[in-house]
This record gives sequence, structure tokens and C-alpha cells, in this order.
Amino acid sequence: MQSPTAGSPKRRAKFAVGGGIIFLALVGLVVWAMTRPNATSFYYTTSELETASLAAGAEEYRVNGNVVPESVVNEGLRTTFDITDGRTAVTVVTEETLPDAFWTAMKAGSSEVEVVAQGKYDGDRFTASQVLAKCPSKFKAKA
Amino acid sequence: MRSLAGLGHPSLIAALAFAVIALVACALGARRGRADLALAGTRALYATAGFTALAALALLNALVLHDFSVEYVVNYSSESLAGGYLVAALWGGMEGSLLFWTLLLTVFSAVAVRGARRAGSRLAGWAGAVLAGIAVFFLLLLVAPADPFTTLSAIPPDGNGLNPLLQSPGMVVHPPLLYTGFVGFSIPFAFAIAALLAGRSDDSWFRSTRRWTLFAWSALSVGIVLGGAWAYTELGWGGYWAWDPVENASFMPWLTATAFLHSVVIQEKRRMFKVWNVSLIVLTYVLAVFGTFLTRSGILSSIHTFTEGPIGKWFLPFLALMLVGGLGVVAWRLDSLRGENRFDSLLSRESAFLANNVLFLAAAFAVLWGTIYPIVAELVSGTRLSVGPPFFNSVFVPIGLALILLTGIGPLISWRRMSRGAFARVVRVPLAAGAATAIALWVAGVDSTGALLAVALCAFTAVAIAAEFARGSRIYRTRAGLPWHSALVRAVSRNRRRYGGYVVHLGVVLIVIGFAGSSGKVERQAVVPQGGSMPVGDYELVFEELDSSTTDEKDVFQATIGVFRGGERVAALYPQRNLHRAQNQPQSEVAIRSTPVEDLYVVVTEFDSSGDAVIRAFVNPLTWWIWAGAAVMLAGMVVLLSGGSPRPAREARLAGVPEPAVATR
Repeated sequence: MQSPTAGSPKRRAKFAVGGGIIFLALVGLVVWAMTRPNATSFYYTTSELETASLAAGAEEYRVNGNVVPESVVNEGLRTTFDITDGRTAVTVVTEETLPDAFWTAMKAGSSEVEVVAQGKYDGDRFTASQVLAKCPSKFKAKA
Repeated sequence: MRSLAGLGHPSLIAALAFAVIALVACALGARRGRADLALAGTRALYATAGFTALAALALLNALVLHDFSVEYVVNYSSESLAGGYLVAALWGGMEGSLLFWTLLLTVFSAVAVRGARRAGSRLAGWAGAVLAGIAVFFLLLLVAPADPFTTLSAIPPDGNGLNPLLQSPGMVVHPPLLYTGFVGFSIPFAFAIAALLAGRSDDSWFRSTRRWTLFAWSALSVGIVLGGAWAYTELGWGGYWAWDPVENASFMPWLTATAFLHSVVIQEKRRMFKVWNVSLIVLTYVLAVFGTFLTRSGILSSIHTFTEGPIGKWFLPFLALMLVGGLGVVAWRLDSLRGENRFDSLLSRESAFLANNVLFLAAAFAVLWGTIYPIVAELVSGTRLSVGPPFFNSVFVPIGLALILLTGIGPLISWRRMSRGAFARVVRVPLAAGAATAIALWVAGVDSTGALLAVALCAFTAVAIAAEFARGSRIYRTRAGLPWHSALVRAVSRNRRRYGGYVVHLGVVLIVIGFAGSSGKVERQAVVPQGGSMPVGDYELVFEELDSSTTDEKDVFQATIGVFRGGERVAALYPQRNLHRAQNQPQSEVAIRSTPVEDLYVVVTEFDSSGDAVIRAFVNPLTWWIWAGAAVMLAGMVVLLSGGSPRPAREARLAGVPEPAVATR
């Protein structure tokens, strides 16, 4: 790239210093943003969640697994269900809205609904602040 | 019913064959300077577009006639699907959307190359070759791994229907607009590469593709906004942007393209930034293809899994080729791309444009970083991570504020250099407006610093833009004696590029005001029995009635929600919770009462067995401004697109008045 600087050394130095400061500020901004609360969260399977030594309380995690259809209990705002990776099951509690695709799959009794829950784990229950559903080839399954 | 679907696959093969011919003939014609080969190549490009169009018509025909012997028709439509959505089903699935993408690509290529040949451009040959090469890749995908015309041996009586989430007017236009944007960038990309291959370092490549670039950028902008509007009105979580990987995928090329639109102005006016500009358009195109790749590969979890498929792996080598090939050609021609001018001063229009570019690129890099960090982290350390909205918001608030400030300052600064005294004179009034707004908001009790700063900067920039309009139209008031509105119209129509740009800026300012409002969002949820109520913000929502009805496609359950404020019933909202029978899928339809002050957003997520409604309600301040701003942006785009190339002679004659910030001052 051509150096977008002016001819005189003094002006060139000004541009270099200015450019350097802006560059460092932007890198600093990205680094700082990565350390903000919940900017990044660890993403576990249910087995990993059980075995990982987690800092209880403050930090949020993501956990994914397949929903056990018969475990789903819905009382008003609160929904409780188990998710499993085939080895370990974890109970998820949430008062958030579950995606429509989640309920579709539950109606169909599908045990192949994979969800990703984000929230906190107290070693017993996973309290989710967000639940995303992944329903691979939902429509193709019927074809 | 049988359809013309049988024509589809042979058409695709013919299109592929012609694309290969076009690639070879255009490249040889350009290399050897043979006009006959170039002409043959161009005609082969037309044939490619024609056969791709035939394939797309065949698929559309199969969808409209409900030909359930075609697997795609079964997967994405049904007998009961309404007409408009049958067309939308063309891009509702992976194979169809690829076919649609390829159709746009081949038609755009044919039109652009034809236009370039007619204008006597020497770049037409190489550009045709690059575009034909891209078409070969997509047609190969369509012929083999993503064939939309795969047939079924056992013909089902009905199809599975289109995902109900996609059955919304926004979804009929959002994907085609995004695709138009993504594909549109292949034209300036191809002409940039063509200019490098032909060894022409002048600016004819972006002058001749300026309309394409603006058109693609406009389509992408509108597409992104419509995607946000769709998320807001359909998904029921009360927001419009979630930093979902696929949203990010559409946003990254938008950021680099916006940088490009600004930096070409410097090349045009000052013959600088040549390497930068070709690199930006390569980057924009690669990011657009990367966006397609992210959507198709399912490599990241996203709402956009509708079109997921097994073709992701095909994209990686193509992406690598575009990036390495594109930047490789830039490196090869580096010597001829030296800037012809230098910066004169830190306080100059050039510096403002440079700062704009740095910020847009930093923003694009931050989005890329946040989007692919999970993949990189897993590859490097084996830990699986996800990057959430707090990261993106933390980066974007400061960058966005700086960009809004620049939007206001940039047009006030003159080219080459400006004295501090002159600068102080032009920023005085906007600065006062910004400060007054900040104080007023502070007195009014706005407690979010980010929102306060954002709105104050918006006021600064809006006043700066208004001042530009006032200055630009003054000559027509004083010399031609026109009333102010006619003078304004005259000024804008005489210089559509500049004022179209300012109108777009004004739209952005309004949108940012809408973003600032999100800091005051209120959210409540409750289980409400019939006759019961729940509070949200200043409102009291009363669940008055539950009605049920049945249509061809769905069972409709509609709540009547009375909206009370200060004891007075100010409105009624009708959120629905429906069951789409074909898919056995329940879906909520949101009800929104939108005013410039705030949106009241109500969604019923469930009617339980006793008829109680699970209601989620949001008060979203200032969201209305986002859509209003988008409409203003669109108006600005129309002005920009209606303008031709600049007319240097006339510009020079009037330079003293409509552009007071030029170096002569």
C-alpha cells in the first residue's frame, strides 16, 4: 500500500503518531470488549458441564444437548426440561420464551431436538436466560 | 401435476457449458486482443444467463403447479401455500436460493458486460472472464451437489409447506435484496480485477461500475433493514438485531462496501488510495461470498438454518481463490497503483475520509473477529466458546459514535487543508446544537450516557447537514430569486451525488436515534387469565377476549388486549398464537402499537389449557425512528442512483457557492 503521508518528515511523523494512536485505540477497544461480562461464554456439552470445575454464580455458560421429550414440564411462565448428550442429563429451568420450533418438535415427540441454553449452573439445575433450538432438516425428515 | 421441471437440469448443464465457453473466449479475447473471441465470449455469457433463467422458470413452474415429483417442491411448498409465497419458496431452500443467486449473477454479468462493451470499455473482456469464472463455480454446485431438480420415486400427495416463519411479506423481499446486494458486488469486483489484469491503473473501473456499486449497496442496506424488521415483527423477542452469525455475515460486506463508497471519492478527486480501493472491493466481495458460505454451511448456530446444506465445504476453496487471487493481482500490479498525490494536512477532507475508512474497517474486523472467534478458539485450544452481544455492543457504541461525529464534520472540512479558524467557524452552530441537546436530555433525566451522547451527536450532525443544504441552495435563492423549497430542489437535482449522500447521512442519523432508544427498553411477562391484566411501563394491558377461527393453513387463536394508560383505553392490540397444520407448528404473531415516542410490543407465547395467556410485553422507545430513518436513506439512495457522472465544468463554475468548504476559501 502506498503510504498516505505527506512529504515533509515532520508531517509524516505526525501522521505516523496519529495513525499509531488510532490503531492502538481500536485494538484496545476490541480487547476490552472481549473482557466485558458475558462477552464470551464457555460452550459445554452436558457431560463437560458436570465435570468442569465451574465458578458457581456469576458467570454464564452455554450448554447444548438433545431434549428428553417426556421431561418437559410447563407451568405458566416456567418451563423445565432435561437435555442430554447421551451420557449425562442436565435439568434446564427457564422463564424465557422457548422458540416455536421447540414446541413443534415436542408435539411431534421428537428426541432429536438439539438446544443451546445460555445461563448459570449451580451444580444441580441450569437456569437459562436464553434457549435456542436447532432442528436439523425438520421438514426433510417427513419427506 | 407434471411440470416443466424436466427442463431444469439440462438447462443448468447448458448454462454451465456456455459459462465455460464464455470464460475461455473472454479471457483469450482480452489476452490476444481478438475482437471476434471477445464477441463470442459475450454471447456465451448471454446464453449462460438465458439457460439459467430457463432453469429458474422451470423450478418456478414446478412450484406453481405443485409438481410433487420434485423433491424441492415437496420440501418447501404445499397445495395450500398462497401464491406470493410460492414464488418466495424459490429461495426458501438451499438449492433454490443458489439457483436464484446464480440467476442474478448471470443476468447482472450479461447486462454489465454488454453495457461496458457498448461504452467501448477495454475492461469488458477481462471482466466477462472473471464473471464467467464465478458463474462456472455456482453452476457446478447446481449441477452436482445442490441440484434443485432431484426427483422422488414415490410422489407424496402434498408438500411439507414453507416454514411459517418465512411466510411474511418481509421474507418475500428480504432474501432477494440481500442476494442482489451480495451478487451486485461481483460487478465492481470483476471490473477491478479486469483493470488490474489489463494493466490499467486509472479510475475507469469504478467510474463505469459506480451505479452497480451503489445499486448493490442500496439493495444490501434495504435488505439488512428488512431483515431487522422481519425479526422484529415475526420472531417475538422484542428486538431487531441479535448479532447472529448470519446477520453479521450480511453486515461485514456492508461495512467494507460503505468504506469503499467513501474512499473512491478520494481516488476520484485526488488520485490517491488506489491500492486501498481495489483491496476494499476484493475484501467486500470475499466477505459477501463468505456470508453465503456461513449461511449454507451451518458451521455456526444461527436462526438462518433454513437454507443449510452439505455444500459448505465447496465454498472454502472458492473463497480462498477469490481472496488470494484478488489480492495477488493487486500485489502483482502494485507498482502501477501508486497514489499521484499526498496528504497536505491533517485537517482536510482526505483525512476525514481516511478516518471514516479506518473506523469502518475496524468495525468490519471486530464483527469478523466476534463471528469466527469460536471457530478459531476451538481449533487452537480445543475449548468451545461463544461470543455474545455484549462484545459487539461494546465495540460498536464507541465506533458508531465516532462515525456519527465524522458524518457531521467531514462535509464541513475542505479538501487538501483548512485553517483552524475556518474550521471553528463552520462547526460553531452544529456544536451549539449538539451541546444544547445534551443539556436538554440531561435535564430531562436521561441517565444512559451512551444514549445521551448518541442523540447529542445526532443533533450535531443533523444541523451540520441542514447547514450544507442551506448553503447549497442559497445561490438559487439570491441569484435566481427562487423560494427556499424550489431552491433546495434545484440544488439537490443539480448535484445529486453530494446531496443524495447527505440525505443518506440524515437517514443514518435518524436510525442512530432509534438505536439510542434501545437503552430505555422495558420488558415484562406474566400469565394473564381472561379479564386479568398486567403492567408494562406506563401501560396496563387487559386480556379482554379470546377468539378462535380456522383458515386453510392454520388454526388462529387471537387475544384482544386493551391498552390502558392513565385509566384510559388508548388502543387495542390483537396478538395471535396460531397452529400451522401442515407443519404442526405453533407460531406467535406479534402485535405492535408504534409511535415516534415508543413502541408497545405484545406477544402471546402460549394459551394454556384453561385459556390463560402467557404474555410478554415490551416498551421499546424510539424504535419508530429506525424505520423512518431507513425510509429517508432509501430516498437518498434513489437521488444518488438517479444522478449521472459528475459534470466537472459546471462544478467548477459554481464551486464558490455550493461547496463553500473548498480550498479557495
